[in-house]
Amino acid sequence: MTMVQNPDAAALAGGVGSALNRAWPALARYGGPAVVYFVFTLLIGLPLALVLLQAVMPGLFAVDGATGLLSVEPLVSIFSSPSTAVSILHSLELGLLAAFTTTLLGGAFAVLVQRCDIPLRGAISAVPWLVFLTPSYLKALAWVLLMSSGGYLAQLGLLPPALGAGFFGLAGLVFVHTLSLFPLATFIIGSALAGLGSELEDAARLSGAGALRIWLRVNGPLLAPAIVLSFIATFAEVLSDFGLASTIARMSSFGVLTYGIYAAASDYPVDFPAAGAQALVLLALVLLVVVADRLLRRHADPHLISGRAKPARLYNLGAWRWLVLAAALTITFLALIMPLGAIAVRALTSTLGHGLEPGNFTLANVTAALSPYTAANEGLVRSLFYAGLTAIIASTLALLLSAQLDRSSPVMRTAVLGLSLGAVAIPGIVLGFGYILVWNRLPGFRDWPFPHYGDGSLLVMGYVAAALPYCLVVILSAIGQLAPSLTDAARLNGVGAVRRLLSVTLPLILLSVVTAFLLTFIRTVFELPMSQMLIPQSGPPAPTLILKLFSHDRDGLACAIALAAMAAAGGAAALVWYPLKRFVAPGLRRPRSNIASGEPS
Amino acid sequence: MKLRTTFGLAFGLTALSIAAPASAADLVLYDALDFAGPVAKAFQAKTGLTVDVVEPGSTGETLGKIAAEGSNPQFDIVWLDGSAVMERMAADHVLQPIPAEAYDKVSFTDLGKSLIPQSHSFLPTGTSTTAIEVNTKKVKADKMPKSWADLEAFAGSVAAKDPNLSGPAYQWLAGLFQTNGVDGGKALLAKTLTNKSLSGLSSGGKVNKAVLTGDASVGINQDSAIFSKIAAGEPVIAIYPKEGSVSLPQGLGISAKTQHMDAAKQFIDFVTSAEGQAAMQNGDDTDFFYIPIVKGVNAKPGRETNIAYTHLDDQVASKHETEWKKWYKDNFVQ
Repeated sequence: MTMVQNPDAAALAGGVGSALNRAWPALARYGGPAVVYFVFTLLIGLPLALVLLQAVMPGLFAVDGATGLLSVEPLVSIFSSPSTAVSILHSLELGLLAAFTTTLLGGAFAVLVQRCDIPLRGAISAVPWLVFLTPSYLKALAWVLLMSSGGYLAQLGLLPPALGAGFFGLAGLVFVHTLSLFPLATFIIGSALAGLGSELEDAARLSGAGALRIWLRVNGPLLAPAIVLSFIATFAEVLSDFGLASTIARMSSFGVLTYGIYAAASDYPVDFPAAGAQALVLLALVLLVVVADRLLRRHADPHLISGRAKPARLYNLGAWRWLVLAAALTITFLALIMPLGAIAVRALTSTLGHGLEPGNFTLANVTAALSPYTAANEGLVRSLFYAGLTAIIASTLALLLSAQLDRSSPVMRTAVLGLSLGAVAIPGIVLGFGYILVWNRLPGFRDWPFPHYGDGSLLVMGYVAAALPYCLVVILSAIGQLAPSLTDAARLNGVGAVRRLLSVTLPLILLSVVTAFLLTFIRTVFELPMSQMLIPQSGPPAPTLILKLFSHDRDGLACAIALAAMAAAGGAAALVWYPLKRFVAPGLRRPRSNIASGEPS
Repeated sequence: MKLRTTFGLAFGLTALSIAAPASAADLVLYDALDFAGPVAKAFQAKTGLTVDVVEPGSTGETLGKIAAEGSNPQFDIVWLDGSAVMERMAADHVLQPIPAEAYDKVSFTDLGKSLIPQSHSFLPTGTSTTAIEVNTKKVKADKMPKSWADLEAFAGSVAAKDPNLSGPAYQWLAGLFQTNGVDGGKALLAKTLTNKSLSGLSSGGKVNKAVLTGDASVGINQDSAIFSKIAAGEPVIAIYPKEGSVSLPQGLGISAKTQHMDAAKQFIDFVTSAEGQAAMQNGDDTDFFYIPIVKGVNAKPGRETNIAYTHLDDQVASKHETEWKKWYKDNFVQ
């Protein structure tokens, strides 16, 4: 418990004299947690606090002289407005429903691709990644194009009017959120499933337990932390969503909190107190769920990865596998093919009003998107670079923080996890504003040369902040499964903290670290709010260019560029994934062999 | 240890690679107008002065960024649709008054002269107005609306922007209350905007989308957006209401904290020159279809300029802004 996890602290202590050696235990005890707190405060805590504080200190950043006077007026006006009360209820209702359906679908998908012997398993396991590759604002647009009363499905005669009308409401929102977000649940639950191995399952089977009983009594409880985490993460994600809130929800008159925040933040002057008060409510909703989980599941989470786990056996489903395959293909069709098809049709047509008329098809948008030396291509190259850099920094940082947090007190873990998931629930625009307030307004920060507001450096920092919660969620859940005996054995053999992390911990959770890396990379290529707020003066990243085309009504070209960007981001992610795949969980690829997954060398 | 060194080196190098100074450009321009990029490029080619064009998204999002920067603005020039918001920024000392000689150098048309603000908070570079956008596939030629009042016949199928999110939409609302009376205007909207899913849209693009996908038959939209859609071959037309239209100027403002006043003045001179105006029309998106307000400059072909204007009483509009926006939100948005 007293060992230092922080490489800097370890390096510092390496070559200094006895005076420092005496201070060493204290440094070791407090250095690690201090670094965790510092990183969190700088990346997320401070920027968020500056926006949220304005809910109670409305004059904090007033242009005509800042005042720190406390006032409950913003909160009172938010809570006394009937429309805000309705928005809170709507957000809560949508978040809980969609989190439930998403976790159910994502969990089922994870079990399906990891444990069931179905045809096309390899291809189907790529589906969540491809769905995740499509940014939410594109999916939202796709469903509007498909389901509008004069949309593509109606033009093809495939949309019964009742279904079209019913879609624009709570049901449609839950449907689209579930299909968009299930990959997250698949990644989180799949990550835990990969570490589960089959020893316990085999033991249960040898004791005579049937498959259902094994899942209900053995695997289910062992996966519970991941399932709950997936529920909370998707709940937070739905709360913070703006893509659907501004399209399908708006078209259904289904007011949610994020839309209220956007409305308060898109004018001059920005109504920071109102935005802060509503963001505070969002944060409170997520924290409530996190605390409720802690209170309900008070026992410690299980440590499963021993380094000796045998790879899991695939279930032979017999004739049922065709039915299961049909279900998986239906999901693929709804979550991937239909939205991408709508986007592709829009990219290949000239006008929106003439829809699917034969004369309306053109290659002009695609040609424009693929021609070299355009602003869009330059933006895309910039975004791929920023995203790669962000993914390296965020996943490394998350690994270091997780290693530290895993040894910390439960209170600190809950606090950090709560803050992380809370940060997921806060719309990106709020965090983006926080970054401007810190790095352009606060004395001390604004003259700091690196990172600096207006540079690529601050944008990357903002991207890291936006990505860190997810990286932490993914890596922490994997590291939490590690049996402490492994690192303890290394420590007793005199292996240093850095080497323990790199040679023992990292190989065992490499799948999760790579997952976190790729998640961050793909999300960052299409990350919108940070890109907008922290857009570097030297040139914009791809998402702002795509959004500009959308907001200026050139959605045909925007769709073509977005498709090109998705292909580039997917290609780059594949370039990372396939060479690494040889090292990551080889047992999963050859499930019936006896190769132990993640056996440390 | 080797690994740590490699990591350290990699971080150091990447950090250095993005540590390049924020901007060595002669001017930083914040805008949400389609033609700003081409104009900056032409200006750069002519004068050799470099311009960093920063476009965070819509007008609202650009304003949000400026508001967050507050008393430490990072732009030299801001170029946006809307006059009231420029006045507010000037009142907060985010903008400084445009030097009087900058106006004197330009040969404004009468319409252009009428748009120059007393406070000199911005320099008008062009204008547009609000019109009725009609989907010709949904509305027969003999049923076309001719006035705001005629929109009642399309109740439930009228798309409109939320004035809380759009400066131009607020100017339309204030103009309607001026021409039709506050009570008359409110009664008319109550009978017309009966479908909340269409009456609280966040942008002109969403109004276009609603009209083009057929969710709405008609929309209340900025006319330049409609002409851009017509040029793209979309089945829509623009109709100007017989009550008269309120002008929506595009304004160019100078930051109160700019260190590049000379370059900013040169930029203004270029924008109002024949070359600058040509660059402002060198494209097919919405804003390129503006109404020129400099003598001798014609609008893009197909753009209607023979419009009956009504002059908006800015004082009344600004006095009731909070109240009327809230009324609209309570009745047609939530």
